[in-house]
Amino acid sequence: MTQEQMLEQIVKQVMAAMGSEQPAQTCAPSTGDKVTAADYPIADKRPDLIKTATGKNFTDLSYEKVINGELKPEDLRIRPETLELQAEVAESVQRGAFAGNLRRAAELIAVPDARLLEIYNALRPYKSTKEEYEAIAVELETQYNAPISAGLVREAAAIGYKRKRTKEFK
Amino acid sequence: MAINEQMLQSIIEEVLREMGTSQPAADAPAAAPAESAAAAAESVELKPEGEVKQGTASDEVLIGLAPAFAEFQTETIIGIPHSKVLKELIAGIEEEGLKARVIKVYRSSDVAVCGHDAAELSGSGVAIGIQSKGTALIHQKDLPQLSNLELFSQAPLIDLDTYRAIGKNAAKYAKGESPSPVPVKNDQMARPAYQAKAALLHIKETEHVVPGKKPVEMEVIFK
Amino acid sequence: MRSKRFEALDARPIKKDGFVKEWPEVGLIAMNNPGDPTPSLTIENGVIVELDGKKREDFDMLDQFIADHGIRLERAEEAMAMSSLDIANMLVDFNVPRSEVVDITTSITPAKITEVMGLMTVLEMMMAQTKMRSRLMPSNQCHVTNVKDNMVQIAADAAEAAIRGFDEMETTVGVARYAPFNALAIMVGANVGRPGILTQCAVEEATELDLGMRGYTAYAETISVYGTEPVFMDGDDTPYSKAFLASCYASRGLKMRFTSGTGSEVQMGYAEGKSMLYLEARCLYITKGAGVQGTQNGSVSCIGVPAGVPGGIRAVLAENLIAACLDLECASSNDQTFTHSDLRRVARSMMQMVPGTDYICSGYSSTPNYDNMFAGSNWDAEDYDDWNVIQRDLKIDGGLQPADEETVVAARAKAARTMQTIFRELGLPEIKDEEVEAATYANGSKDMPDRDVVADLKAADELLARGATAVDFVKALDRGGIPDVAHSLYNILITKAAGDYLHTASMLSSDWEVISAVNYPNTYHGPQTGYQISDERWQEMQDIPWAIDPESV
Repeated sequence: MTQEQMLEQIVKQVMAAMGSEQPAQTCAPSTGDKVTAADYPIADKRPDLIKTATGKNFTDLSYEKVINGELKPEDLRIRPETLELQAEVAESVQRGAFAGNLRRAAELIAVPDARLLEIYNALRPYKSTKEEYEAIAVELETQYNAPISAGLVREAAAIGYKRKRTKEFK
Repeated sequence: MAINEQMLQSIIEEVLREMGTSQPAADAPAAAPAESAAAAAESVELKPEGEVKQGTASDEVLIGLAPAFAEFQTETIIGIPHSKVLKELIAGIEEEGLKARVIKVYRSSDVAVCGHDAAELSGSGVAIGIQSKGTALIHQKDLPQLSNLELFSQAPLIDLDTYRAIGKNAAKYAKGESPSPVPVKNDQMARPAYQAKAALLHIKETEHVVPGKKPVEMEVIFK
Repeated sequence: MRSKRFEALDARPIKKDGFVKEWPEVGLIAMNNPGDPTPSLTIENGVIVELDGKKREDFDMLDQFIADHGIRLERAEEAMAMSSLDIANMLVDFNVPRSEVVDITTSITPAKITEVMGLMTVLEMMMAQTKMRSRLMPSNQCHVTNVKDNMVQIAADAAEAAIRGFDEMETTVGVARYAPFNALAIMVGANVGRPGILTQCAVEEATELDLGMRGYTAYAETISVYGTEPVFMDGDDTPYSKAFLASCYASRGLKMRFTSGTGSEVQMGYAEGKSMLYLEARCLYITKGAGVQGTQNGSVSCIGVPAGVPGGIRAVLAENLIAACLDLECASSNDQTFTHSDLRRVARSMMQMVPGTDYICSGYSSTPNYDNMFAGSNWDAEDYDDWNVIQRDLKIDGGLQPADEETVVAARAKAARTMQTIFRELGLPEIKDEEVEAATYANGSKDMPDRDVVADLKAADELLARGATAVDFVKALDRGGIPDVAHSLYNILITKAAGDYLHTASMLSSDWEVISAVNYPNTYHGPQTGYQISDERWQEMQDIPWAIDPESV
């Protein structure tokens, strides 16, 4: 058991280190004009606006490139700017809360899968102390440039502590 | 970057594989099958033994009882006495050469919480959670609370043989084996017939939840 | 001596159903509970300081989340000042456009919308549902599972279900570790039947997200929320962790909806003396506040609870309508068994089938019910012809159409063979020819040979451990000589890279157009408006193979 825990710890450290090497990505595109429902579906009407997580043009993606190994799974992932476009579409049809979720999501693209799952689990009831929540918020802000998500974590900490649903009260 | 990640992954995979194979094979001799354990158990008394100690023995399986079990309620949703249910669970565990330890969980009446809290206190990391209405699961401490090794969600379909098999399988997991899961019974008409009653029973179980109260070790006295 | 009439009545299936009398003090009441809070809202400096009779300092986690995220503040005071009766009238009056109603209904409180529903009959709610559905056209979803977790059968049943018209499909597991195989099987099988079907695998939340990240699923649905704080905690989440989880999904380009339903709180023992509908309204405001595009609701797995009390099925319709009023996609349940009576199960489904919802069933069982691992559905594979005839009788589009045996058998065969191929190419335990044959002609898992479960589970663990993703599936299918299905899986991947299908009530057409409430909004405003069944569609729906053709007699 202790061996397994050690290994787990090492893996986590390595993963965290790998995550931190990635340059933090900014989320808001610098373009002036916003897209609307008229540009939707963007993949059909404005495919030129879409790039994937590794900067590949959406229009350059192809089945053949996946088969011959030219495109890797990470080349097919969504990137923050695309989610921002979708958030703008959502706002154009009065779905503000949904747009807000897409903007949080845009921030979280930079967080590696394993760490994202860990953070989610840490936000469950009785799993983290007030301080641990704060550490996650700081990590989201500083390491991943994710201020909106960090704000949500802080809200969760405040009301969670007040309602005795944090780790201190397990 | 990709190479590093891949390399790391393959190293981890290898290590995990090695660890998997180097785990001591469970070689405890199976005890002689206890003959119809439940037949004898007419009733059961739970005697509180104080706060539950963190288990260290890898040959134990904990049974986490929901708050009302065998105290404020005495039978499952289809009328199987709790004494017999408990006797079969314990017999199943003992049949595999392991020891059973029974605790009462108070902070929740949720079967996953009962099972998971017990698993965290179990020396083997494996536990059974059970509600008064009979819903049960086998849990392991490393799993998320709402996951499980095996879940028996339809209490109206669980008979004594199944409880015995649940005990047996829990013990096998505790020994590091990968047993065939206990066959899950499925009857889509259990809900229409029993769900409203199940809600009532659960409300009555939940009335005995004590928020923040730590689990209590129980001596089990069959009569 | 017993009355023979009463003996006959006692022998009827309905007598096997469980009914209970109301017990309002513990929340065993569907709606119109005198114990529900009186609607109220106070805003100070842009912050809600009182919600439905509770002061901010007394808010629990749910109140606080709803107050801070779930209600649009711009017109809230004005909307709250309207009488509930006026709002109910707006809902029923088709001259008031959907957008105008949404503006009001997204600006009021949970207690207010519960009060509005309490003023409406089921007929009025059905009228409102027709108008308030988010997507122009209704659709349907099915479950694809079996008792043995046999992945070959899952693929074959999914292929058949696609031929029969389902646009979305959901599997789950008997044994949790089978999840990767079941997820793979439903995705492959569905897309053999028709390209563009979205699939999911319902498992524990973190595991479900993990499967999605790896590309084994296209969306997620079983992200549960609850209407009281203690039950939310027993569900091992908070509104905040669930909102974070929602963003996790979108960050990987994955569509998702939350799920909730009347009766879950009382079923889990903590209804706090409130009606089932009020607590469900809270769930839906949390869903809205989390920024999730939609919900699966309609009591779902707790249906036996509202169905056991008076007015329960009315409350289920009301909760679907609240979802639509909050501008959410609504996959409206009609999934789980709740009665032994065939009459009763049809009556229950009429509430959504006639007005049409975004997904009428969120789990029509595509297998016989004995194989349904969601504990049985209100509709199963052996009801296919009944469903089709009801559509034909009433000229309503419930999303399905009749299928002929030859087409179905061919699709099942191809799906099973495709599973055999992909398993071989991925180095997974062999799928034998006799399994392919059995799945092709099977009705259920009783017709399937047993597999080596221990070997399968080991291989499933190993598949995840080696980090196989959907890209590996595409390559494996291409290598195995099934490029059309490989292309479909590839198209699902790039759909996630573009994100169009994240939007409200999305589905994919067979030529990969995203159809959602953004580009196909519901425009109903009276007879001959909104979704109309085309002549072509009507021909397809009415064409039951066993009807007598006048020309042939």
